[in-house]
Amino acid sequence: MKAMLALCLVLFLIPAAMMGGQPVDTRAFVQLPVKNDPTIAFRLWFKVGSQNDPKGKEGLASLTGQMLADASTTHNTYAQVIDRLYPLAAGYTASVSTEMTIISGRVHKDNLAAYYPLLMDAVLAPAFLQEDLDRIKSQALNNLETTLRYASDEELGKAVLYNEVYAGTPYGHIVAGTVEGVKSITLDDVKAFYKTHYTRENVVPGIGGGFDQELIDRLARDLSALPAGSPAAVPVAEPRTIEGFRVTIVDKDAPATAISMGFPMNVLRGSREWYALAIANSWLGEHRNASSHLYQVIREERGLNYGDYSYIEHFPRGGFAQMPPQNAARRKQIFEIWIRPVPREAGYFALRAALREFNHLVEHGLSESEFALTRSFLRNYVLHYAPTTMQRLGYALDDRFYGINGSHLETFRKMMGEITRDEVNASIRKHWQFGNMHIAVITRNGAGFRDALVAGTPSPITYKTAKPESVLNVDKQIEVFPVPVKRENVKVVPVGEVLQR
Amino acid sequence: MKRIVGYCLILLLLTGSVAMANSFFPYAYTKEVLPNGLTIFVIPMESPGLVAYYSIVRTGSRDEYEPGKSGFAHFFEHMMFRGTEKYPGPVYDSLMTDIGADANAYTTDDYTAYHLNFAKDDLEKVIELESDRFQNLSYAERDFQTEAGAVYGEYRKSITSPFALLNEKMQDVAYDMHTYKHTTIGFEADIKKMPEGYAYSKSFYQRYYRPENVVLVIAGDIAVQGTLALVRTYYGGWTKGYVPPTINAEPPQTGERSAGVTYPGRTLPVLDIAYKGDRFNPDNRTYVAALLLGDLAFGETSELYKKLYIQEQKVDILDASIPVKRDTPLFEIVARVKKEADLDAVREAVYATLLQYQTTLVNARRLEDLKRRQRYQFLMNLDTPDRVAGGLARFVAITGGIEIVEKLYAAIDAVTLEDIRTAATRYFVPEGRTVVVLKGSLQ
Repeated sequence: MKAMLALCLVLFLIPAAMMGGQPVDTRAFVQLPVKNDPTIAFRLWFKVGSQNDPKGKEGLASLTGQMLADASTTHNTYAQVIDRLYPLAAGYTASVSTEMTIISGRVHKDNLAAYYPLLMDAVLAPAFLQEDLDRIKSQALNNLETTLRYASDEELGKAVLYNEVYAGTPYGHIVAGTVEGVKSITLDDVKAFYKTHYTRENVVPGIGGGFDQELIDRLARDLSALPAGSPAAVPVAEPRTIEGFRVTIVDKDAPATAISMGFPMNVLRGSREWYALAIANSWLGEHRNASSHLYQVIREERGLNYGDYSYIEHFPRGGFAQMPPQNAARRKQIFEIWIRPVPREAGYFALRAALREFNHLVEHGLSESEFALTRSFLRNYVLHYAPTTMQRLGYALDDRFYGINGSHLETFRKMMGEITRDEVNASIRKHWQFGNMHIAVITRNGAGFRDALVAGTPSPITYKTAKPESVLNVDKQIEVFPVPVKRENVKVVPVGEVLQR
Repeated sequence: MKRIVGYCLILLLLTGSVAMANSFFPYAYTKEVLPNGLTIFVIPMESPGLVAYYSIVRTGSRDEYEPGKSGFAHFFEHMMFRGTEKYPGPVYDSLMTDIGADANAYTTDDYTAYHLNFAKDDLEKVIELESDRFQNLSYAERDFQTEAGAVYGEYRKSITSPFALLNEKMQDVAYDMHTYKHTTIGFEADIKKMPEGYAYSKSFYQRYYRPENVVLVIAGDIAVQGTLALVRTYYGGWTKGYVPPTINAEPPQTGERSAGVTYPGRTLPVLDIAYKGDRFNPDNRTYVAALLLGDLAFGETSELYKKLYIQEQKVDILDASIPVKRDTPLFEIVARVKKEADLDAVREAVYATLLQYQTTLVNARRLEDLKRRQRYQFLMNLDTPDRVAGGLARFVAITGGIEIVEKLYAAIDAVTLEDIRTAATRYFVPEGRTVVVLKGSLQ
């Protein structure tokens, strides 16, 4: 670590122009050798993401990533690229998040010689052709205008929440951008963005599996052909304080009601408090797991939907993933509760049910038995977060992002033996609060939902089938649980306008 | 190799279990069939203390032959998490939580899979819990009815996808007699009525959740004999009793069909062109050739993909699906078209491509490239216990074992240019075709 700090200082002192042609320092590589692995995993991290999108060009980072991974190079047309990758059973993709872009690919050792030059071309020699941009832009627009707005209400709810919680900051738009932003992007925008951000000072090469030193040296030499330059750092996002409950209702002809809610959070993985909150969060809402308390209350006992979860880190594409993502790391995080679509008549009730449980947790903390069970769960469950070399390499890059000395996943397991219940409950009191939160709702009759919220109208629920007395008794408390919302804090937006600009 | 064969014989003599060596599948494995018919595959592999445990029930939405019961196999999958007398639902959940298992399940048309990933030290606990719920499932009617609500919730979150609507329509139109007529999630009307099916659910369990109809695939950081001994102990008392469902064969289609479906919302139009194919059978040379034909004619290296997706940019999705199914499947070509006015041109281009494959031999190099790709893809996907067991699940469900994988890849290797042409001629004929076009209600 000390050696690395010294290296950073030296690099900092040498003007960028003097470094032209120098191989990228292999000490900056993230390496994850796996002796018997017949494959090699590449994850080239460029320190750029949607936070770097210029104003009015929201979606540029995402499009630029795709213009590397899904388009022509100066040596091969896109069709030729596909033809050459095809018999290798290998490919590469660009994954863009708020702060990171990863060009990743995996290949069997037998095919490395043919694969490697294609991967390097993608990064070093993009052709940036208009016809490729037309194709990629058209897909990006279709994703915003039809898929997100119409085909997945739960993903739309999350997108609206993310945009609102960090509105006015570089985090204030989803990676896919906005309709007007994407429409305005030109080939020159992409070229300029590439030149600024895809530099040799801005890349951290990650490599895993059955590679050797020769490949490392070759990669270091080849990446030195990237343009020089250190782009200006984006200031840390400072979201405005949320006062009270702020609500955005997307009005659409939805068959059910989807709800996401949350607030900004300052605790990052690597800190002891983060692991304490991870225990509280896992108990409240471990993603896609029946151990989630919200899942037990809303789905298991009441049968209102397919699942209910909570998060202490940004978790894009939650509806499609079983485990947390890699390389979606951020310097500012978000606490989030996700209620999968519920019948419209149960929308307000489900919102109250989730908030009531959250409030109870904030006020009372975890009991000893809840704490002990969740700690035991997480100790083994984190083993499933990264079973493959590619995933572990992703975590290793995230460790670099967060400045974690060692491994987050190992620290996670170790912390499960150290953290006390008092620490968990102290962290809850310090970092979570009930009354100030943004709520995103996707529903039919948005105005009606708003009026009920503002009036605090009771939301009794009826079931088609028998429920135990214990559940019905709690329901009486849920249906009047106070969620004070002021009319001026509720926006109702037609679906055609959401994600527009 | 000889040493392995010798070892196999010894194992066979000692225990009745058979160790298998392969030329293609990269892991040696051991197979055992218990006297009650339960089949077990144990696949030791390098993995850091992790085990994947798949219980594959060879029953899926295909087996829902009684009227009004579409979606029941999937619903029943949910009920399998509601516990037994010994370990009621909340206790089961709590034990799974305590060991930090990644436990879940899914249902398809041909099978239902219950899968867990966990630390190797918990193997016996998992075997005990899994064997218990497969033999002694017990739940109250009230819990059954509540779970029906969760299933309806799953339907609600899925049906906003245009493709869900399109599949529902395609299956309904293309099939007359076979249970593939309905999707795995089932018709909404049947899902609504699920809370009334408590008694039926008991019969479903009694008929289908029987050892002869279940295969265990256990992969990862495990010892073969110790694992098998535990399985014998915990599953040995499970009694036979599988009652096969009465499934009508789908009669040959004798004329082209077509239908339209309107998606409530905004979407690009989607064209789905389906042909009646053959069930999975590696001995059927023409079927195996069709598995490759889909990719050759419509995959990303095909001429049509390059024309419609890359050059003219008329479509943003073009894909072919030649599935591995227990009964007569649909061989489908799906295109999402950017402009409605291009729908007819895209359809004609698909037909022209098929005609070309019926009359001209495919480029030999492309066929060899595809075979090579298939081999490496298969190998590269076998890198974790979960992917090994999960990747085998469909083959296990359809054939009862994993031996078929060797046969399949040998058959793929043997496919000739002429076989590809035969497949194009046999399956992709107008009288076996169904075309469904989906359009949005909003522009």
